[in-house]
Amino acid sequence: MHPEIALLNDFLLVGAALFGVGLIGFVSRRNMIVMFLSVEIMLQGVSLSLAAWGRFHNDFGGQTLVLFIIAVAACEAAIALALILTLFHRRCSLDIAAWHFLREANQPPFRDVPLPEEPAERREPWPRLPPAGVRPETFGEKDKYRPRV
Amino acid sequence: MFDVQTLLILIPVLPLAAALATAALGTRLLRGRSHVPVVTAIALSFVASILLVFQLQERIDERAAQPGSSRAAGVEEVVARWSWINVPDAMPHPVDGRAETPGWGNFNIEVSLRADPLTAVMLAMVTCISMLVAIYSIGYMRGDPGYWRFFAYVGLFVFSMTMLVSASNFLLLYVFWELVGLCSYLLIGFWYERPAAAAAGKKAFLVNRIGDVGFVLGIFLIWTTFGTLDFGGVFQSVGQHAGDWRVTAICLLLLLGACGKSAQFPLHVWLPDAMEGPTPVSALIHAATMVTAGVYMIARCTPLFAAAPDAQYAVALIGGITALLGAVIAITQTDLKRILAYSTISHLGYMFVALGTGTLLGITAGMFHLITHAFFKALLFLGAGSVMHAAGGVIDIRRLGGLRRRLPVTYWTFLAGCLSIVGVVPLAGFWSKDAILLSLHDRSGLFGGGLFEILYLTTLLGVVLIDFYMFRPLFLVFHGQEKIPPEAGDHLHESPGSMTAPLVVLAFGSVVVGAYFEWTHGFAHFLSFTPSFECLAQSGHAAIDTADKWRVATIGSVLTAIGIAAAAMLYLGSGKAVARLARAMNVFGLYSLSYGKFFFDPIYNVLVVWPLLSVARLAAWFDCMAIDSLVDRCGRIPKLAGAALRPAQNGLVQFYALAMVFGVLVLLGIMLM
Repeated sequence: MHPEIALLNDFLLVGAALFGVGLIGFVSRRNMIVMFLSVEIMLQGVSLSLAAWGRFHNDFGGQTLVLFIIAVAACEAAIALALILTLFHRRCSLDIAAWHFLREANQPPFRDVPLPEEPAERREPWPRLPPAGVRPETFGEKDKYRPRV
Repeated sequence: MFDVQTLLILIPVLPLAAALATAALGTRLLRGRSHVPVVTAIALSFVASILLVFQLQERIDERAAQPGSSRAAGVEEVVARWSWINVPDAMPHPVDGRAETPGWGNFNIEVSLRADPLTAVMLAMVTCISMLVAIYSIGYMRGDPGYWRFFAYVGLFVFSMTMLVSASNFLLLYVFWELVGLCSYLLIGFWYERPAAAAAGKKAFLVNRIGDVGFVLGIFLIWTTFGTLDFGGVFQSVGQHAGDWRVTAICLLLLLGACGKSAQFPLHVWLPDAMEGPTPVSALIHAATMVTAGVYMIARCTPLFAAAPDAQYAVALIGGITALLGAVIAITQTDLKRILAYSTISHLGYMFVALGTGTLLGITAGMFHLITHAFFKALLFLGAGSVMHAAGGVIDIRRLGGLRRRLPVTYWTFLAGCLSIVGVVPLAGFWSKDAILLSLHDRSGLFGGGLFEILYLTTLLGVVLIDFYMFRPLFLVFHGQEKIPPEAGDHLHESPGSMTAPLVVLAFGSVVVGAYFEWTHGFAHFLSFTPSFECLAQSGHAAIDTADKWRVATIGSVLTAIGIAAAAMLYLGSGKAVARLARAMNVFGLYSLSYGKFFFDPIYNVLVVWPLLSVARLAAWFDCMAIDSLVDRCGRIPKLAGAALRPAQNGLVQFYALAMVFGVLVLLGIMLM
């Protein structure tokens, strides 16, 4: 076998293995962070095979695409982690099963462990600006939950 | 100035344009002035019609002045503007040895108008009465929320009616026949908030449909028999079909159509109910013009009827039955407008009788009566409207009385109309009634004379009856003790000038029009140049014996005088005599029969309406139970399929991801295979 083909084979095998591991992880785990990591692993598996094909064809398009994927993945990671954080704030849990709004209206929700209920009244911790020279107007009690900034 | 063709087109087009303008601008721009375009257009149409009559008269004079010309040739002018339908060779040539007409089988329907004396007379009458009624409506309809709508409908009606009488083929005639029916429906149900008016409009429409089925079947049969629908083609070739059963069938079917439109027995039931419409409409459509469309149609189809004597007897017989029936019912009714409606039915019956004689004398008499009747019946209706206007809408003659001094103009014009309609010498009604009697008398000696002998006697009986049913409302409403219904309030007054002026004009017409036509002999002479009547002129008829003429006129006048005297004795005196007479009549059940209008409505309810309603209910039940439930069950299939698939939507992210994985695997598998 030509060494280049053997090399491609190995890379592709590793890429497929990474993709498979990520897939299984995404499907089987319920922790949102772990699920997110699994997605990242799948992404890396795909990136690896792209890079391997690029090398095999002697075409830098594959490698270029991988760099793009890494950049996009970084952005995506930031957004995803922010989302996870917000979700965690709501339920105090990382369990994905706590979120099931996609279900059909009259289907019973899947719930194997009791979850802390969402508080009835949500109070967003609005950022408070420091006073700059002038003492800002305050609304007393209203400051805590005024409707808009 | 204007030639015949231009006039013929102008007459219908002007009211149509006015109707469209009123319909478009009525709500915003015209409002209270909505009458202006329509009245102007109809007045112009009237002028055009009169010009048309004069131009035709000129041609007739020319024709008569030529020594060598044949007397029989009619005067006509056909204007064909465009071809509506043209299918060449639409029908195969006949195989059973029937004669072919020229142009056989070409289904060529042209929008063509014809001017001949019959059409010109009808046009002049229609536009004249329409103009007067439209002027009257200015006062009568003032303040009505549908003011503009009323005048738009009237304009549309005048357009349809003038097109009807000037159409030159059967299909076009049918189209406008239906259009006047539509206008009638719209105007009967003009006050559509009133359930009675809406029901009356519906009834008129449905009963007319029965007649129209006959008419349209007749047209189909004309097409298969003659291979053309053009008046000229059909009438020219009808001679070759003499004795053909098809011609008799065509005539009977056309008669059915005429019965529907002209409210003849047994389809007369819609006309009394049509009185729910505004009174000017009753005067215009349901007394003077639209209901005479049937008479016009039979007169127009004279060559067909001349070839089918049996159908002519049917026309005369139905006319005779209707004339007597209408007169008997009218005697006991209490609603002034309904009395006039039954009187209209009765008089249309006389016209049918006259047409049924099948002689030129009879047809001229029928058309003559049509014209005079239009004048005095429109006058009487408008007079009744004036009474209604003054009395706050009350029309029950038992609740009115002694209005003679309060409504002088209405009284005198109504009296003129009454004297004219009962046929007092020398008012219009006398001459036309006399002409009908004379034509019946003339015919009673000939073949089939037995029928006409009976019809002659029936008509004489009608001459007496009409005195009773016309003078009864006159005496009760205008004479005797003053009775003013509370609805009138304390402002019982004569109608405004726009209403009384047409009354005076119509009264003048009712008085003089008959004498004018009779003394100048202009009408009969003019009408005899209609191409449709050529066949009669050729057959010729014996000159009328002057002694006969005097005898008939004397008998008629004496009977009228006796009738008026008897009516005056009965109704001007105390009510006891009337009650006694009613009781005496009721020994034979006559009074109840008359008061119950011979129970046509309940009988039709049992025979026609209920069976149809039952079938409709059955159909509705079947629709609800069988068809609807089937559809519902079909609708449940996707619902069940959805319920089966619904657990898949459980909201778990992993589940969706797994489904996606399997989907991708399946796709991969397909691609690899």
